[in-house]
Amino acid sequence: MSSSTLPRNATRRPLGRRVVDSTRGFAVWFGTFVLTLFGLLVVTFALGLTSAADPALHRVGDHASEAVYQAARHDFGLDQPIPVRFGQYVWGILHGDLGASWSNSRPIASDLARVFPATVELSIVAIIFGAVIGVGLGLASALKPRGAIDNILRLVSLVGYSVPIFWLGLLMLLVFYAILHWAVGPGRLDDIVQYSITWHTGFALIDTLIAGDWDSFRDAVAHLVLPAAVLAFYAIAGISRLTRAALFAELGKDYVTAARAKGATQRQIVLGQAFPNVAGVVVTIVALSFTVLLEGAILTETVFAWPGLGRYLTSAIFVADMPAILGATLVIGTSFVTVNAIADLLTRSLDPRLRT
Amino acid sequence: MKTRFLISALTAFGLLASTALVADIARAATPANVLVVAQSIDDIVSLDPAEGYELTSVQSFNSLYQRLIASDAADPTKLDPVLAESWTAGADGKSLTFALRQGATFASGNPVRPEDVVYSLVRALKLGKTPVFILQTLGWTADNIDANVKKLDDSHVQVSWPADVGSAFALSILSAPVASIVDEKALEPNVKDNDFGNAYLHNASAGSGPFKIKAYTPGEALVFDANPTAPTGGPKLSGIIFKDVPDPAARRLLIEQGDADITRDLGADQVAALQGKPDLSILQTPSAESDYLGFNASNTDNPVLANPALWEAARWLVDYDAIANDLLKGQYSVQQTFLPKGFPGAIDNNIFKFDLDKAKAALDKGGIKAGTTIKLEVINQPPFTDIAQALQASFAKAGITLNVVPEVAADFYGKVRGRKTEAALLFWIPDYFDAHSNASAFAFNPDDGSGTIAWRFGWSIPDLSKQTVAAVAETDPAKRLADYAEIQKQVQANSPLVLMFQAKNQIVLRSNVKGFIQGLTADQAYFNGVSKD
Repeated sequence: MSSSTLPRNATRRPLGRRVVDSTRGFAVWFGTFVLTLFGLLVVTFALGLTSAADPALHRVGDHASEAVYQAARHDFGLDQPIPVRFGQYVWGILHGDLGASWSNSRPIASDLARVFPATVELSIVAIIFGAVIGVGLGLASALKPRGAIDNILRLVSLVGYSVPIFWLGLLMLLVFYAILHWAVGPGRLDDIVQYSITWHTGFALIDTLIAGDWDSFRDAVAHLVLPAAVLAFYAIAGISRLTRAALFAELGKDYVTAARAKGATQRQIVLGQAFPNVAGVVVTIVALSFTVLLEGAILTETVFAWPGLGRYLTSAIFVADMPAILGATLVIGTSFVTVNAIADLLTRSLDPRLRT
Repeated sequence: MKTRFLISALTAFGLLASTALVADIARAATPANVLVVAQSIDDIVSLDPAEGYELTSVQSFNSLYQRLIASDAADPTKLDPVLAESWTAGADGKSLTFALRQGATFASGNPVRPEDVVYSLVRALKLGKTPVFILQTLGWTADNIDANVKKLDDSHVQVSWPADVGSAFALSILSAPVASIVDEKALEPNVKDNDFGNAYLHNASAGSGPFKIKAYTPGEALVFDANPTAPTGGPKLSGIIFKDVPDPAARRLLIEQGDADITRDLGADQVAALQGKPDLSILQTPSAESDYLGFNASNTDNPVLANPALWEAARWLVDYDAIANDLLKGQYSVQQTFLPKGFPGAIDNNIFKFDLDKAKAALDKGGIKAGTTIKLEVINQPPFTDIAQALQASFAKAGITLNVVPEVAADFYGKVRGRKTEAALLFWIPDYFDAHSNASAFAFNPDDGSGTIAWRFGWSIPDLSKQTVAAVAETDPAKRLADYAEIQKQVQANSPLVLMFQAKNQIVLRSNVKGFIQGLTADQAYFNGVSKD
């Protein structure tokens, strides 16, 4: 009996019932989504209140007169009761207005529209590297436990978990940029390219391709390689280790023993039996790694002067720029929930046991 | 199958990456005739000269805007005519008449008119943003400014002021970036909700300086184009890119590789490592930053803070030379008075040095016993945490325990401003190029919560405050300088404020970059004479 045949019968229900179920499922999902975001906003707002940092003082500077300082407090609504401030913010969001930054008056929505694609672009490239190599290494080490690849994997995981990311970033810049001259320096694009491309999507790779500007595209790729490699390294460490662990757990099950008794090779067992069964777990692991990257790789973005969400959020936190912090939190929350929902759907399609 | 797919996918990524890498090596140089400055630019609040008061904005104003008069780049104690051709002081001592430079135009091509001068000053007062307090020292307010700035004819403007200050002081104020002349006609179509074009000038420029803003992308770059028609002559460069590189180690790599032409704000160790490299030169100039230790005499929780014996002992407990030379590796010099060297009215009077016996004698005389504990709050960034540790060690020798509490800047300044500290270690940068700027901070306390440094540290000084007010009103230049020397000595001799160090700017340039000048204050950054050979 194959583990993949039995639950399929369970999906054979009337179409109408399935539609009702999936509508209800979506409604529940959407309700959870909205509640999660609201909860995030409440917690972030509350945490912001505990900060001793004074955004009005940061805005006007230490030398400003009391009148100018008080005017800034008034502009930010800091003289209003806390529930009123929060209510006004939520009201704004419901009307599609994320507000303006307290530190420089720029609209939060346009700031986020600028920084988020930079982070997404970096994260996608990093997760592709990370997932392909990480899962590949996990598989390879399961194929030959305690073999050479397995040992390399354990070393990679150890280094990945223990080396500070900014140090690795600086080291890579030093080696590949400063000494070997194989890579380009920090930044998202070359100075010449930066102002010659027209932004449509905010993704440098896509926008340079749309423009048919092959040189700029290569420039964008060249700038992506090092930061993406650093982030991918950390993703590899996590993904390969967990893939390996999931595979090893699966390989200890009875059906594997049965398959072995029937004369199946390790390769047939791992690739044909065990891996399909842990694929759902692997998808979840990859999705979780991806959401971590989407939150903005703060240190990597700083070292590589990458104008992404992580740096935006850190700068905002340092100066208690609450509208910017809340806006960035919303984006992170939304992407977290969305990626998890996609992972959920993928897992369901990969693992028949989870289908209803 | 799957293994083969994996291998081909990996190979594809590898190839893509290496093509991009190899293809790009040839590009590792800055564009010809465009200066690339690597620095952190995320401090920018506004690029409007009536609002911007952050380092990067202030550094940009000399390139983007011009005033009627400005400090001379070579000798900042002299004033040069810029958009004014000449000026005459009124007989009443409280007005100035400026003859405007003939044929001067803004970067937009609009002529510089007397109306623009009037508009610019009125605008700054009515906007009432951070640097407005500089103009308010002339007694100007949003309500009275209209009556105090007048167009006389098509080439003359008269300014008058109600405050009891001399015309020399008024000229210093009018040379500050907040008094920059903006292009009224260019701003008109960009005014929203009576904001005088303030929102527009957050990312754009409307001035007559040697450069104009081409683009500003926060977190990425601030880009200037040359303005060849600048009234004082166009720049040699065709543009400047201020590239946002927040990490000092990355900035160092960029300048070493030639991907940046100028960088600043590197750590002492990083600058030391770059010394002597043939492709680089290091420009070391004094900065107007004064670093001081303040005891908050208004804090009644710890009565020792108001004891002048502590203030005196503290002066003998700082190991000035060791901190400046060994700890801070020459990035700071010793300056024990509140006007930095090079500033009008500065004196050379470093009379204190580390002397444990004198410190102990002062403490004994004041009845301060060993075991006294003081909380010292400090900004959580170098070199202040390092200096605080050095102070902790030397104060401990006299039996005074300093509990050093590092804090992020946003928390720290709120406490200092709210008189909530016991003691604080921090810096001060003058607001305009006149001795009164620092005197009105360190030696003036009207006890009305006005936020001067003397007030923030609870130092009650009715007599000295009067002297400070008299000095700014003094019209005889020699007498005025003598007044400031006397005021500085009083602060140095007996106050809860221990002035210790003056910072230096250390700017690293590629050796083909010529003609860059950085003066004492941040706004004295001159890019118009810069060329790349």
